[in-house]
Amino acid sequence: MKREINIALFCVFLALAWTGCAKRDRPPVREVVVYASVDQVFSEPILRDFEKETGIKVRAVFDTEEAKSTGVMNRLIAEKGNPQADVFWANEPIRAEVLKQKGIADIYRSPQAEAIPEIYRDPEGYWTGFSARARVLVVNKQIQDPPTTIHAYTDPKWKGQGLIANPLFGTTTVHIAALFSKWGDEKAMAFMASMKTNAVGVSTSNGESADFVASGRYAFSLVDSDDAVSRMRQGKSIEMVYPDQGPDEPGCLIVPNAVVLIKGARHPDNARKLIDYLLSPETERKLAFADCAQIPLHSGVEIPKEMKALEAIKVMRIDYARVAETLQAIQPYLKEWVGL
Amino acid sequence: MSSIRFQSVHKILGDRQVLQDLSLEVGPGERVAILGPSGCGKTTLLRLAAGLIAPDQGRIEINGIPVAEDGRNLIEPEDRQVGMVFQDLALWPHLTVSGNLAFGLKVKGTPKQERLSRIHEMLQLVHMESRAHARPAQLSGGEQQRVALARALVLQPKILVMDEPLSSLDEDLRAELRSEILKWHREIGFTLLYVTHDRGEASTMGQRILTMKNGSIQ
Amino acid sequence: MTKRIVLSLAVGFLFLAGLLPLLLLLIQSVSEEGRLTFDAYRDLLFTKNQWILLGRSLVLAGLCALVSTVTGTTLGLILGKTDLPWRRTFTVLYALPLFVPPYIMAVSWFHILGREGLVRGLLGPTVAAVTSDWLLGLPGCVWILSSIFSPLVMLLTLAFIRGIPPRLEEAGRIVASWTGVLRHVTIPMILPAVMLSALLVFILTLGEFGVPHFLRYHVFPVEFFTQFAAFYDFRAATVMAMPLIGLTLMALAFERLCLRKKTYIIQSIGHGQRRLVIPLNRSRRVGILILVGTLSFMWTVLPLLTLLFESLSSSAYPRAWTLAGHSLMRSLVYSAIAATVLTMLGLLTGYLVHDRSFRFWMFLDSIILFLFALPGSVLGIGLILLWNRPVTQAVYASPMILLLGLVAKYAALTHRISVSTLEQIPASMEEAACMAGARWLRRFRQILIPLARPGLIVAWLTAFIFCMRDTELAMLVYPPGCDTLPVRTFTLMANGSSDLIAALCMIMVLGTLIPLGLLSLAMKGCWGGHVEYPISIRP
Repeated sequence: MKREINIALFCVFLALAWTGCAKRDRPPVREVVVYASVDQVFSEPILRDFEKETGIKVRAVFDTEEAKSTGVMNRLIAEKGNPQADVFWANEPIRAEVLKQKGIADIYRSPQAEAIPEIYRDPEGYWTGFSARARVLVVNKQIQDPPTTIHAYTDPKWKGQGLIANPLFGTTTVHIAALFSKWGDEKAMAFMASMKTNAVGVSTSNGESADFVASGRYAFSLVDSDDAVSRMRQGKSIEMVYPDQGPDEPGCLIVPNAVVLIKGARHPDNARKLIDYLLSPETERKLAFADCAQIPLHSGVEIPKEMKALEAIKVMRIDYARVAETLQAIQPYLKEWVGL
Repeated sequence: MSSIRFQSVHKILGDRQVLQDLSLEVGPGERVAILGPSGCGKTTLLRLAAGLIAPDQGRIEINGIPVAEDGRNLIEPEDRQVGMVFQDLALWPHLTVSGNLAFGLKVKGTPKQERLSRIHEMLQLVHMESRAHARPAQLSGGEQQRVALARALVLQPKILVMDEPLSSLDEDLRAELRSEILKWHREIGFTLLYVTHDRGEASTMGQRILTMKNGSIQ
Repeated sequence: MTKRIVLSLAVGFLFLAGLLPLLLLLIQSVSEEGRLTFDAYRDLLFTKNQWILLGRSLVLAGLCALVSTVTGTTLGLILGKTDLPWRRTFTVLYALPLFVPPYIMAVSWFHILGREGLVRGLLGPTVAAVTSDWLLGLPGCVWILSSIFSPLVMLLTLAFIRGIPPRLEEAGRIVASWTGVLRHVTIPMILPAVMLSALLVFILTLGEFGVPHFLRYHVFPVEFFTQFAAFYDFRAATVMAMPLIGLTLMALAFERLCLRKKTYIIQSIGHGQRRLVIPLNRSRRVGILILVGTLSFMWTVLPLLTLLFESLSSSAYPRAWTLAGHSLMRSLVYSAIAATVLTMLGLLTGYLVHDRSFRFWMFLDSIILFLFALPGSVLGIGLILLWNRPVTQAVYASPMILLLGLVAKYAALTHRISVSTLEQIPASMEEAACMAGARWLRRFRQILIPLARPGLIVAWLTAFIFCMRDTELAMLVYPPGCDTLPVRTFTLMANGSSDLIAALCMIMVLGTLIPLGLLSLAMKGCWGGHVEYPISIRP
């Protein structure tokens, strides 16, 4: 008999625990569901602040570029017919473009977006960029006369000393696609081919690239500015070079975060509030001071001293929509290049 | 009307023909001993009577009612009111002696007072009233045997089938229990099907001895 | 009748949770806008690289199976048959790595052997460069996965050794020395079990994603994940899953054809019968103690200590707790619920297979094993495909979907434990209840469940551990705001500081072990105990 009571108590406990969770799942009016492909360590504090300030509960699904986990992007696409997310916070605009092309994004022109330069916004209003990373060269401090251009990759002087993250993933893909759309296929393919003959190393991620350069295995690598800044703050022996800043050179690629309103969102009003919040100068300031060290797109936002303001960087002019198209087109080529 | 009746029953287990065209009739209150070497189909015969398996061909009747026919049971074992004592006794180790006896009575929905008095009576009959709260593992072999018999008898079955219930005991105890079983049979008056491979035991227990060989009665 | 209904419900539940999602996945992979097409298969399967990756996966799985089987069996024999001191402690120590998500062990080893790791401080950067290269590749994968899966073989070996009737070994001892008895009696008796566990390790390694991914060793499951992450291509990913599915099926068929018939049934031995123990002489005892001690230090103590050491900073634990406290609670609750459902379901399907109640019992048995062997992410995608519809929103947007996934994936554990538990219960137990007039439900509840209780407790604990450590499936299907601890740790690993990650890993380890320890103590106290069958003669 005692045993039956034990079992019954146990079941009651489980049931209570379950309803405890389920209660939180029952949609109260004030909540918003966000899928974030930005590293959780950086995105979660911002979302918590939003919760505190507005009282709107944020339920998030996180994913990381680094982990290349199966990803919120797949979830978004899979859930197209029955969307769960209200907002997608992407770590680069190309994913946002893909969502737009697949009919998963909805139009929202945030009042906060007006001060953000037009090139970082979708002209039709499907996505809006904010807080950007720059694609920079990270260079080991021991290196004399460090490279200042991405053409160092094909320069025999640097043979075997350049490193690049796997171009099938993340911002590296975006970068290569940007070069293809800027230069045209022929020149870009020639560049890629001579990179190969110049014995460039391929790492699995930008973070790993930065670590390899810091440890002296390679002289330099193209990485995201946040990878460089975080290692510099840890006191590693590297410095950051914004490439191609000369008068005849194309400039440095800027990769903003992008925020998207999901079509058929269950909490559209709260979603818009969250988007406004993310696009605010205050959020950009926080992301600049966080370890991800992202460059504000609003002018006049305070930034830490090791970073350059957007105005001080010569920026590569690209059309993100075209880059998104190019990106899909060059996938087979990239696969072949990597040797897959 | 006969108590148990087998009409040309066939049974195959695995790829072996265990029973072949077996017919058998046992009268009410009769004691029948079934004798034969191991593997001759004695146990299968009992399990068919109990309903734990169904005959492939043929027909089985209990008290004139068909209970199994041509490959399927018409009446499931739990509804046949046949008592069985297993070769390994099959006492439930998680229940006490009285718990083992109470189980079947509870299933039948016997009121608590009646249940307790019947268990008490039955334990007295098998001289086990002092061990009512012991677990089977705490009992000796002979005591376990008695409990197994009591558990079968407490339900007052019209038919009791026993599968070599005394095989694991020493000779003195066997003799004692044999005479006890005969005594209970006189007192209660059930029909008894008793399987053994021991000729002496068969002649004591059976008013009639059937010898089985290769799946049929000789 | 009740029996058929209850068992059908159990089968139906399993079908819904596991099989239907996979069928949907399969259909999706060969249809494009309503047409039947095999393009995706042609594109992906006929590239050379896939075969290279598959080859690597096979090599990795083969090596891990070999190393784990040899080490695990040896450990099992030493800990289960000799009078080595502290056997229990060693058994627990070795088993620990099995209880935590594999990638946590990889994180820890990275702290030890990596370029910036412990080795650098002790032996200098040159050695660290060598060990780091060694870690980030096949040897590292084999080393870590073996440290995780050897305990599995060890535990199975221990269980099977326990099932050898002492009289068989005694009979051997009369004519031969212990070496001879081991060689000619004990080992041949457990050989089928050893083969079985080798196969299990092979299958588990084949589908393992976390460790090779963390160590940057490119194998098939990693590529499978990549297909999703880089190309958002459901169809391609499904097709990529097919070789894994195929290999798994082949391994299972092998088991069915070659091993199943030879597996001796484990019989419980009552308290009266003592297991035979090999007495070790002094020098052997010391030698073996040193070997066993060193290996357990390397495989368990060192990695866990490293994690602990890494995590000891003033802010790491408070931060980790704020970030992941809720996730830990969720993990515990979900795992407890899933383990309870799994135990009940496993008992029912176990009964079905044991009793052969339905003609398709063998098929069911294979399906359950297959679901276990299948990489969690494949099942996850299938579940999304199936449940993400407006009608089934209640399931999809709640932890229910995770529960379904966990149940489908880990049913094999409770199922198999139930089958072997039921095999130890003499058929006459249920038959006697039947003769007493009890119908199936009552027999099941009042006779079989109490008799199977020790096995059910083991089943519950096993299911709990595996649900706690699940990463791949949970990562894919957790509802927004309801992530579990392994998922949260995994996503926080990207650019999180190393002390924070180490602290999260420690919380994960303790969060599994403490409740587990408490539960097993409590269950032993109030529910436990062996069921002893007074006489065990079996016709």
